[in-house]
Formats: sequence, structure tokens, C-alpha cells
Amino acid sequence: MTDNQLEKQTIKLPSCRKADWKNSLPLTINKLRPGVIDLDCRDWLLGCRELKQLNLLFQQAGIKIDIIKSNITETIISASALGYQTYLNLEQSDDFSSELGRNQLRLKNNSDVFFHQETLRAGEHLEIEGDVLLLGDVNPGARISARGNVMIWGRLRGIAHAGKDGDNSAKIIALQLRPLQLRIANEVARGPKEAPEPGLAEEAYLDSGKIVITPASTKPFKAE
Amino acid sequence: MKTNTRIILICSGKGGVGKTTLTANLGIALARQGLKTAVLDADFGLRNLDLLLGLENRIVYTAQEVLEESCRLDQALVKHKKEPNLALLPAGNPRMLEWIKPDDMQRIASMLSEQFEYVLIDCPAGVEDGFKNAVSAAKEAIVVTNPEVSAVRDADRVIGLLNTHGISPVQLVLNRVRPKMIASQEMLSVDDVTDILSLPLLGLVLEDEQVIVSTNRGEPLTLNGTNSPAARCYSNIARRMQGEEIPLIDPSKEGSGIRDKFRRLMQTKIF
Ligand SMILES: Nc1ncnc2c1ncn2[C@@H]1O[C@H](COP(=O)(O)OP(=O)(O)O)[C@@H](O)[C@H]1O
Ligand SMILES: [Mg+2]
Repeated sequence: MTDNQLEKQTIKLPSCRKADWKNSLPLTINKLRPGVIDLDCRDWLLGCRELKQLNLLFQQAGIKIDIIKSNITETIISASALGYQTYLNLEQSDDFSSELGRNQLRLKNNSDVFFHQETLRAGEHLEIEGDVLLLGDVNPGARISARGNVMIWGRLRGIAHAGKDGDNSAKIIALQLRPLQLRIANEVARGPKEAPEPGLAEEAYLDSGKIVITPASTKPFKAE
Repeated sequence: MKTNTRIILICSGKGGVGKTTLTANLGIALARQGLKTAVLDADFGLRNLDLLLGLENRIVYTAQEVLEESCRLDQALVKHKKEPNLALLPAGNPRMLEWIKPDDMQRIASMLSEQFEYVLIDCPAGVEDGFKNAVSAAKEAIVVTNPEVSAVRDADRVIGLLNTHGISPVQLVLNRVRPKMIASQEMLSVDDVTDILSLPLLGLVLEDEQVIVSTNRGEPLTLNGTNSPAARCYSNIARRMQGEEIPLIDPSKEGSGIRDKFRRLMQTKIF
């Protein structure tokens, strides 16, 4: 570890149950010294737009965000998509809103999350022993499979297989879920014919032995 | 060796989508712009670039003799009579497939790049050895596809392989675009195709009977300065390759005759 890293502060956002984005954050930020920080977003569900706004606030105070940490995979995906180095907090924080928590795609402790930043094209197959976060599309004719969850920050139009070794609790989530075929554990389903609503992330999971698709249970956090 | 020679692979995955036609027409169009251009037939199994260029009867030596060092490169190059800036390096006999290696293709390409500003490689269909040999010689690529699901799928596969080979830039040409079929949604639209392939679109080429006529004559459309729809498309692509900014044609505004134009007028009035 370098000195620089030792000195670097970690700023924690307040828990999302209590916080009020507009009022509290600029105050906190203005108290900080200019420099480089790690930002722990905790249980905030932040999309690219929100992260950009956050970054702007910090930038105006002369602060550069180095690493973004979060308990929430979607926030991690957004941050990675914006080019930040990211870190997923695996241990659940005490004040984690159980309400939100139930709906989040939880990563299993000690499972490895594999990031892959590239569209999978026809004929390509990405296979991962753990959870996988893909920043890119899965094109028709391409395949992605994982022992754990398959998360796609992009469009799924090929084949995805979550829980390939039989994990029934594994999920598939994508910004646009329009697969040729979905597999979870040992179940197989053909993708839906009709196009999904644009801009609505969806997830697929096993419900009493059947693969079901629902809008991803996330309410994007909005800055007022 | 000239380092700024643009060595461009023209490939598609699927056969019959228009690679050879594009290679011939771009070769002529670039040459007409005064650029020294070589076209290399890397489709040893089904060579027909010579035919399309009308040069078949003038071939004496081929890439094979050049590689065997039984002739010099300039002895094998066939200069186009009407367009002296263009030369063809013909494919040897199909048995070349049995022994040619990526090294050999690289040797040919580097020899060509000493004398030419553009080297266009007409790639065989498929993703096997023929493709791998050809890709090893190229720096950039143009992927040709048609607005059909199977052609797009194969193009996607090829783009993945081009990426692994470190080819860049890779650009797209969408060939055999039929505005009427797109309008009636019987054919994939331009957006449908670029949405999947996510490549910069170098150009569209309209479906055009003149392409077939010119193929049979051995005179690429770009040669005789005709103004047929496809000829315009090919020349535009060549000019874009040289960095000119020419807007893409809009298929919804392309009609073949006065009746289409009239119908379009009617439609705009009604809606
Ligand atoms: N824009 C076009 N309009 C009409 N016919 C075309 C067009 N482009 C190609 N063709 C025809 O399609 C066939 C296949 O073209 P070719 O260039 O030989 O394909 P490839 O080299 O990819 O196998 C030929 O008969 C050619 O005349
Ligand atoms: Mg051909």
C-alpha cells in the first residue's frame, strides 16, 4: 500500500433510509478538504445519471472520486460503466433497509464477482464460476453462463444461464431482457416474444420451478 | 515498407453478400480518385475477383508464383487497362489452400504495401483457415452484410473474431438495401442492423440490377461513371474512406421511379 492510499479518505453517504440528498450532501462535501477520496455509497441505488450528478458536486469542491464502494450491485454496475474503479461491500451493513434489501439482487458472501466489459458477439461464450457482471450486450447467438447470478448492464438478446451448477436461487438481470433462451439451474425457457418496455430493467428467477420475468425490483433514486 | 498503407480486409462470414463486388467497385473508385490501389484475391477456393474486374484473360502469374519466388511481384500484378492506378494480385489455384499460412499472407501484404496506398483483400466466406490467413495480413476491416437475420448473425461472429485479432477500425457496409421492403417491414431496417452490430456505418449499398449486369460484363459499375443507385453508393463509400464527409442515403427517400416519388408525396400529404 502506498502512502497516498493510506491518506485517502473514505466518504460514506448516509444510509438511504434517513438521508435527504439535496440538503445534507453539499454540506458534508463543503467540509471536506480538496483531494482524492473513496466514496462509499452504501445502500443507495444510483444510476449513471445520479453518479454523474454526485461527481459534479464533488468536483466543484475540488474532490476527485477514486473508488466507488457500494452494497448494491446496480450502483456498482453504473459506477463501472462510468469508468470508476469499484468495490462491492459484501457484508451487509447494520442499518440496511430490509425493505430495499429484499428486493435487491444479493450477492452471496464469498462468491466471486467477475466483471467483463465487452459485448458478447455471436458464437462467443462467457462462462464464470461465480457471479458475473457484464458491461455490454449479449448479442443473438452469444451465450453467458455463471454458477451464480448473471447481471447484464446492457441488452440480453442471446442465451443466459444462471445457476449453471443447479443453484435455484440464481437470477438473471438485464437492462433489456429479450433473450432467445433463458436457463436457471436446470430449467429452460424461451424468451418472451414481445419487446420489453424500454428503459425498464428486468429480472428472471425461478418461482416454484418456473422461470418468471418481472421488472427488476428497483426504484431508481431520483434527485429532486 | 510504407507504414501508412491501408490494408483493409473485406469480409462477411456468410457467402454471397457482396464482398467481391464491393472489393472490385471500391478498388476502381479509389483508383479513380488517383490512389494507388491493389486488390488481393484471398478467396483461393472460389476466386472470382479477376472475373468481376474483367481481368481473367490477362492473368499470367498469381500470388502462388510470387510466394514460391518463381516470379516477381510486378510480373504477377495485373494492371487495369482503363484504370492504371488499380492492380489485381490474382489468387493461385485452389490447392494453395492446402499450404498457405498466415505468414505467407503477411509477406504478400507487406510486399504490396511498398507500392500501394490501399490494399483491399477480398476475404473468403467462413471463419476457418481462409479467413484466418486473410485476417492476419490486414490492419483494418470492412464487414459487409445484408439486411437479413442470417447475414447479420454471421457478421456479428466475424466482428468478434476481428476484435480478437486486434483489427481496427472495423466498419460496416450494408449491401442490397431494398427501401420498399424496409418500408413494409419485410426486411431488417438499417437501425435493426446497426443496433446489433454496433459498428460505424461506412455506407449503404442499394439493391440494383445494374450490379448484376456489370458483373456479367466484367466492368464494375464505378468504372464507367454510370449514375446507377449502387454506383453512387460505392463511390460515396470510397470518398468516405478518404475522410470526406458525405451523408448516408436515407432508404425511405429512395424510390426507383416517378411512381414511388408520387406515392411518397401522397403519403406525406395524407399523414
Ligand atoms: N447491391 C447489389 N444489388 C444487386 N445484386 C448484388 C448487389 N451486391 C451484390 N449483388 C449480387 O450478389 C451476388 C453475390 O455477390 P458477391 O460479391 O460475389 O458476394 P461474395 O463475394 O460475398 O460471395 C452476385 O451475383 C452479385 O451480382
Ligand atoms: Mg466472393
